[in-house]
Amino acid sequence: MTAPTDTASGAPGAGPAPEPGSAAGGVLGNVFGAPAAPAEPAAGAAAEEAAPEPEPFGLGSSPVRQDALPKALGVYPYAADLWAEGLLWGAVLRSPHPHARIVSVDASAALALPGVHAVVTAADLPSDHGGRAAGAPHGPVIADRPVLAAEVVRHQGEPVAAVAADHPDTARLAAAAVAVEYEVLEPVTDPEKSFHAGPLHPDGNLFRHLPLRFGDPDAVGDVVVEGLYQVGRQDPAPIGAEAGLAVPRPDGGVELHVASTNPHGDRDRAAACLGLEPDRVRLVVTGVPGATADREDLSFQVTLALLALRTGRPVKMALGREDSFHAHAHRHPALLRYRHHADSLGHLVKVEAQILLDGGAYADVSSEALAAAAAFSAGPYVVPHVFVDAWAVRTNNPPAGRMRGEGALQACFAYESQLDKLAAKLGVDPLEIRRRNAMATGDLMPTGQAVTCPAPVGALLDAVAAEPLPPLPVDEPDTEWLLPGGPHGAGDPAAVRRGIGYAVGMVHMLGAEGADEVSTATVRVSGEQATVICAAVDAGQGFATLARQVVQDVLGVTDVWIAPVDTDQPAAGPTARGRQTWVSGGAVEKAALMVRHQLLQPIAANFGMSPELLQIADGKITSYDGVLGMPVSEALEGKELWATAQCRPHPTEPLDDAGQGDAFVSVAFCAMRAVVDVDIELGAVRVVDVTVAQDVGRALNPRQIEARIEAGVTQGVGLALLEELQAEDGRLVNPSFTGYRLPTALDTPEVRIAALLEERDVVASFGAKAVGAAPAVVAPAAVAAAVRAATGRPVTRLPVRPQDAVV
Amino acid sequence: MLPATLEEAVEALAAAPAAVPVAGGTDLMGAVNAGLLRPPALVGLGRISELRGWRYEDGGTAVLGAGLTHARMGRPDFAALIPGLADAARTAGPPQIRNSGTLGGNIATADPAGDTLPVLAALEAAVTLTGPAGSREVPVSHLLTGLDPMRPGELLGWVRVPLLHAPQVYLKATGRSGPARAAASVALVLDPARRAVRCAVGAVAPVPLRPLEAEAWVSTCIDWDGERGIDPAALTAFGEYVAGACVPDPQALADPGGPAPGAGDGPAPAGGPPAAAQRLRRTVAVLARRALGRALK
Ligand SMILES: Cc1cc2nc3c(=O)[nH]c(=O)nc-3n(C[C@H](O)[C@H](O)[C@H](O)COP(=O)(O)OP(=O)(O)OC[C@H]3O[C@@H](n4cnc5c(N)ncnc54)[C@H](O)[C@@H]3O)c2cc1C
Repeated sequence: MTAPTDTASGAPGAGPAPEPGSAAGGVLGNVFGAPAAPAEPAAGAAAEEAAPEPEPFGLGSSPVRQDALPKALGVYPYAADLWAEGLLWGAVLRSPHPHARIVSVDASAALALPGVHAVVTAADLPSDHGGRAAGAPHGPVIADRPVLAAEVVRHQGEPVAAVAADHPDTARLAAAAVAVEYEVLEPVTDPEKSFHAGPLHPDGNLFRHLPLRFGDPDAVGDVVVEGLYQVGRQDPAPIGAEAGLAVPRPDGGVELHVASTNPHGDRDRAAACLGLEPDRVRLVVTGVPGATADREDLSFQVTLALLALRTGRPVKMALGREDSFHAHAHRHPALLRYRHHADSLGHLVKVEAQILLDGGAYADVSSEALAAAAAFSAGPYVVPHVFVDAWAVRTNNPPAGRMRGEGALQACFAYESQLDKLAAKLGVDPLEIRRRNAMATGDLMPTGQAVTCPAPVGALLDAVAAEPLPPLPVDEPDTEWLLPGGPHGAGDPAAVRRGIGYAVGMVHMLGAEGADEVSTATVRVSGEQATVICAAVDAGQGFATLARQVVQDVLGVTDVWIAPVDTDQPAAGPTARGRQTWVSGGAVEKAALMVRHQLLQPIAANFGMSPELLQIADGKITSYDGVLGMPVSEALEGKELWATAQCRPHPTEPLDDAGQGDAFVSVAFCAMRAVVDVDIELGAVRVVDVTVAQDVGRALNPRQIEARIEAGVTQGVGLALLEELQAEDGRLVNPSFTGYRLPTALDTPEVRIAALLEERDVVASFGAKAVGAAPAVVAPAAVAAAVRAATGRPVTRLPVRPQDAVV
Repeated sequence: MLPATLEEAVEALAAAPAAVPVAGGTDLMGAVNAGLLRPPALVGLGRISELRGWRYEDGGTAVLGAGLTHARMGRPDFAALIPGLADAARTAGPPQIRNSGTLGGNIATADPAGDTLPVLAALEAAVTLTGPAGSREVPVSHLLTGLDPMRPGELLGWVRVPLLHAPQVYLKATGRSGPARAAASVALVLDPARRAVRCAVGAVAPVPLRPLEAEAWVSTCIDWDGERGIDPAALTAFGEYVAGACVPDPQALADPGGPAPGAGDGPAPAGGPPAAAQRLRRTVAVLARRALGRALK
């Protein structure tokens, strides 16, 4: 199916896509074993909701998400619930060593176990040009990561072999029975040592060096502050671990049912790894159990497909928690050295920085994360002179990749810590020093790119500052006061100090540096029922709800069905980098507008006026002069209309050798005030309150924005205080939910929204900015600032450990 | 197998010696799921209702069933009897775990960070072990240190705890507000009849440690006949004394042969053994000081 930009292609009745309910019908029929059929979830719920309150409708309202009830009831079908008749179970054997040469792999003992159907290794994947098994290297940017390790393992947990058996336990036992002889090599785990270590990969150890030169290198300020900052390894820790089902197809292809957030990208790369044409691999997106950017690593998907192809049977794999920690990419640990120059009034003169990101064993998106770290290294401030050297390097640590605000987050912690330091040195209020330097529309970023979108940095700071502070316990003696350490903890009010910290930050939206951003959507109306076909994955962020609101807004229909996603649909790109609202939402809007035109044109013609003079509101089509007032339902009766449209934001360019260029489509800003209580003897910290003001462009669904902000703040609080996937000599220390400490309800603060500033971003679809990443970028810096204020300690490392917060 | 009495359970275990007893399963099933344990058979203790409550014995002793859940021990009626154990039970994991995790399981698992263990050590509790050859009583400390371990075929039936009718405190440092294992913990009980303070430190060593000298010293600082007051300086000194007794000397650790103290599942101590020991000492000192302060308040 081809769909050129902005072209309505279609005639009534000639719908381009399969019926909504039969999207997964091709090979499997209903792949969900659960009795709740996913096909018509709306029917029953809608009938019950036909109660007095009319459902919120259109953009700017906050309808309940379609998946909310099924998720709350536990009937939402996740990938782990997949089932197919006669399926086998997959299991993966992972390297116990962070760095080793594979001397030999002997699968005979595993194959001899009863119930084992296949064992695959790198030798079962297409070989490289030299005819050698290379494990089918792949990667989102550079293809450097094998699906199954060939010759060398470069991080602990790297997949070496995989097994399919008739029972999950048998599969696990068989995987353990694959005998691999390793020659253990010295791991390089200190990113600073990676520069001079021997190459860990034929591509070398440097993923990217990005020098950024902006202004006069000799400029100096009256006041100089320096700092060295460190950010630990955060994990996306999706509650639902990786799971999926692969089904062989009669044509020699394979169908993958996985919780992918980038179906077409994954399909294309999986096909390449398998040596198949892309159209012989079909990827069907199942319920995504939590994703904050990329989700399943490709190795998981390809291994699954390979096992299905090898055995000719459906194969299911559901990773355990430890496997899951090994399988997906983490946030880049970072080391940031900063020097800020300012004049005596606190105006920034120059920022110098060295930023080192530990990319782990494979390239993934390290170069992209590095671009964000360098470009936003000075923060949302006007700085005339900026000099940065940023590096992303290869080590034998677990691979790092995309995770909400990658690169921007690490820099935000460093530059905001520096601003606090500068404020302290100058004796200026931390809020005031930020206001004095705040960026505004028209200012230049250190990349030389002018900020053309709204940049209400000052207004955001004012909004959080104007919000009343949470009460002090002394003012409310009757309320139960939750002390740091939690209920029934060791907290002692006499040792508790309260601290208030501010932070403001920025993050880009959409792919940067020339990434081709494009999405396609089809909107079809059949009678009063509209259908959206768009391969944008709703990973829980709410795209399906938004698409519904968009169609309601444009066409005035209530009943909008969002088709499940698979790769038979045109590509919509990954659900990451805050792009779906803009790119896919934009495509849905365009398609809906084309349908609207098809609907209104004949009506307008009847009245001898142009369709532009008609409007749709409150379920009615009305003309400017009030002559016409026809219910939409009447106009649509018996009609079948559809249109397909594409949205492609304006292009960007790569950063040059001096880090200069218009690399970003747009940026979003967020300001926060964090209030913490610290038990200064034990170093226990409780975040009491986080107040947020965010630059959202336009609030398309206020409740979903609030949910995104709460999620971002929670994840940020996690990184600030709790979450660190530790590795010792390249080996994970805490790959479990006992060891890896996610914030619980008790660790999560009250999140208050001081303002959602709605200054339209004129180039963005709907004028709306992405909302997911910004709060995650800023929250760690705000919490660190508050701990600093409470304790007087420097707080230069995330997460803040108890020993960093004792006085 | 789901026996209804302790006797039946002992028989079931004797009949299938490879079977493993399971109470709440919160420790056991984790090990099974992680593939660390593959029990050929399980003997479920959950139906033994006699073990889910407690009774009194004369001489001021409560006999607690091994099947008491953390949630049950956290309730006010139990807290009025043995407040220290109630305190510990209330902090032992999230509510789901406390609803099924049991006292017996906590003792049998003998995790260094097990929350009931320091309290039982401070209370000088004893357990009744029942096997095919009959029952025997073993002090908790002997069981935990391995001086007198559980024998094959034996089940932990009862825990005998003295009723002291005086304040008891259990404090644990976790570094967070949500549920977590202890990085260090202190249990402290007052025994006014004997004019004694008993204290145990958890999570800093494989078993709870008793700072006997510090206990003896501080009990002389308390005005037992009056309002049980104490000089604040003595509170602080007690904290230091306890920490000094229970956490190895940071200086001694500076030599590479010294063992690193266990620090629960919290972030790995940075700065090497001496710095970590220094911090642990400080934490224990604060906990011990606060615990005594609360007990005497
Ligand atoms: C998420 C989570 C958080 C936790 N947090 C804490 C915490 O903060 N503090 C803490 O102390 N613990 C914690 N635990 C550990 C656990 O919940 C406790 O140790 C609990 O008391 C174990 O009791 P159980 O009945 O579940 O034991 P089970 O898992 O049933 O048994 C544990 C072991 O004891 C043996 N056993 C059980 N009962 C008997 C008996 N009567 N006689 C002989 N052997 C027996 C079993 O064979 C097994 O080896 C946590 C566990 C989880 C999963």
